[in-house]
Amino acid sequence: MKTLVLGLGNPIFSDDSVGFRVIQGLRDKFSRPGLTLMESSASGLGLLDLITGYDRVIIIDAIKTEGGQAGKIYRLNAENLSATRHLASPHDINLATAFELGKKLGIALPQEITIFAVEVVDVTTFSEKCTPEVEKAIPLAVTMIAEELGGD
Amino acid sequence: MRKITIDPITRLEGHGKIEIFLNDAGEVENSYFQVPELRGFEKFSEGRPAEDMPQITQRICGVCPEAHHMASTKALDDLFHVDPPSPAKKLRQLLYSAFMVADHTTHFYILAGPDFIMGPEAPVAERNILGVIAKVGLELGGAVIKTRMQNHHIIHMVGGRAIHPVFGLPGGVSKALNEEERKEIEQIAKDSVEFGKLSLKVFDDIVLKNKEYVDMIVSDAYTHYTYYMGLVDENNKVNFYDGKVRVVDPEGREFAKYAPREYLEHVAEHVEPWSYIKFPYLKNVGWKGFVDGKDSGVFRVAPLARLNAADGMTTPLAQEAYEKMYSTLGGKPVHHTLAMHWARLIELLYAAERLVELSQDPEITSPDIRTIPTAVPDEGVGIVEAPRGTLIHHYVTDERGVIKKANLIVATVNNAAAVNMSIKKAAMALIKPGKEITEGLLNRIEMAWRPYDLCLACASHNLPGYSPLPIAVYDSKGKLIKRFPEN
Repeated sequence: MKTLVLGLGNPIFSDDSVGFRVIQGLRDKFSRPGLTLMESSASGLGLLDLITGYDRVIIIDAIKTEGGQAGKIYRLNAENLSATRHLASPHDINLATAFELGKKLGIALPQEITIFAVEVVDVTTFSEKCTPEVEKAIPLAVTMIAEELGGD
Repeated sequence: MRKITIDPITRLEGHGKIEIFLNDAGEVENSYFQVPELRGFEKFSEGRPAEDMPQITQRICGVCPEAHHMASTKALDDLFHVDPPSPAKKLRQLLYSAFMVADHTTHFYILAGPDFIMGPEAPVAERNILGVIAKVGLELGGAVIKTRMQNHHIIHMVGGRAIHPVFGLPGGVSKALNEEERKEIEQIAKDSVEFGKLSLKVFDDIVLKNKEYVDMIVSDAYTHYTYYMGLVDENNKVNFYDGKVRVVDPEGREFAKYAPREYLEHVAEHVEPWSYIKFPYLKNVGWKGFVDGKDSGVFRVAPLARLNAADGMTTPLAQEAYEKMYSTLGGKPVHHTLAMHWARLIELLYAAERLVELSQDPEITSPDIRTIPTAVPDEGVGIVEAPRGTLIHHYVTDERGVIKKANLIVATVNNAAAVNMSIKKAAMALIKPGKEITEGLLNRIEMAWRPYDLCLACASHNLPGYSPLPIAVYDSKGKLIKRFPEN
């Protein structure tokens, strides 16, 4: 099974680097055939290009929810995704729309997508460091993803 | 006072906010386009080797990293006083042309297209790329995806990495092209020309043959008489990569033409208390407020501005399309903001044609790709045309090439004053006392800024599609009377 773990974000905007940092953490202790670890700043259609051809994709990204607790990690699945797609459909092409587009066009898409999202604080200050609560969440997210991958 | 908030701006990378204030009579009094403040770039850059800047600055933006990479690389040429060999310059342009094809494709079909192909007031659930392919056909959808993927493949081949290239060095590039790669690029380039032609035909069929759309394009609500700015070559033709910056006045006459190093003699920045963005304006005209006309220093950048600021295109099919646009819209310059979509497609075709030319250039596979810098670095300015307009990188270093000062003026900032004006004008024309403020009406206001292809450089990748994107409307007491989406 071809698996992709994709860290999304921006390495120079503080907490937005969390996806990259988790991939780094995984890379330090995790390697197996058929597993690709990748960082990317892509969104929308760019994501479609990246996930094409994999059987399974795990995405790690930053998230900012109203009143959310910094460093909290959410595990979301395709069901959450379609629900949110319903909510956010009027707007920019999101992963769900990209996914639907891919399906319509007959592109080979993964059977399974899981999303880990870390609640962040600051994504507008130029820095390669995360804020303290988010920094603490990084090893935890690494462990969670390692466990997620464990059952392969 | 009633307050309308469109927050965050929909279908836009990063996050922004538009606030519209109504007076007691229910007419638009003012509007503000605001973006989040990005803090600490100067401090972040200080003390880093200048050679790192093409890698760092391209991270600022999730939308046009290639443009930052290129402006930064050119600033390094200037900083280290080195002139790259001709094949290196051509390789840079090859990558840049592929980037322009991909980026313009994305903007037209994903962001702009739905308004026209589905209609400005079409149900929101249909006004997106899925609606577009349902209407125009899967085949076109497939061509959009293929064109993007193939051109990203060129960027990967030439630039060493997809999306974020690593090939720009002071004095040249890090990697030459082999014959096999060249052949592959030539084929993609030819396909891209066909796609560019097809896109203009789609625009012709769907937009230009629809009188309602043409009337909307030329309507006063979407028109501003401003100066225009863009890079031109030695014959005053559009160039994305190099040349001088040319400015034409609202009547289309050349107002200024300057080399990158001279930009501070021509562009100054106006500060407003309500905005983190500083508003660039033409220094030699002066800041007169957010107003149109020859006496106002407000200028515009981006595709239509580039076409207005130049005398034409260097490639045959794009030149033909250029002439058609101006003859259809009543000559140069064209002041209609919505015509920017047309100009973007003309540029898409131009970029594809350039790609063919460059892929067939005998020098393109030359191994002579680097001039090693030997001079002491001090100060450098690099200017390119990003898809969204003129992009300026300016660095000052010590004698070791360590950054002391860094200044960037990005395309969206160059357009900031005009964007504010465009939103206000459309809002004033569309929001009337007693008229219900519908989602369709708000979208028509959004259509006033969408052509600028704003890039707020925020690049904060909050999980796509997770949070709902609310548009809230408040009455004069500040009470919420309408919210979109509803839950």
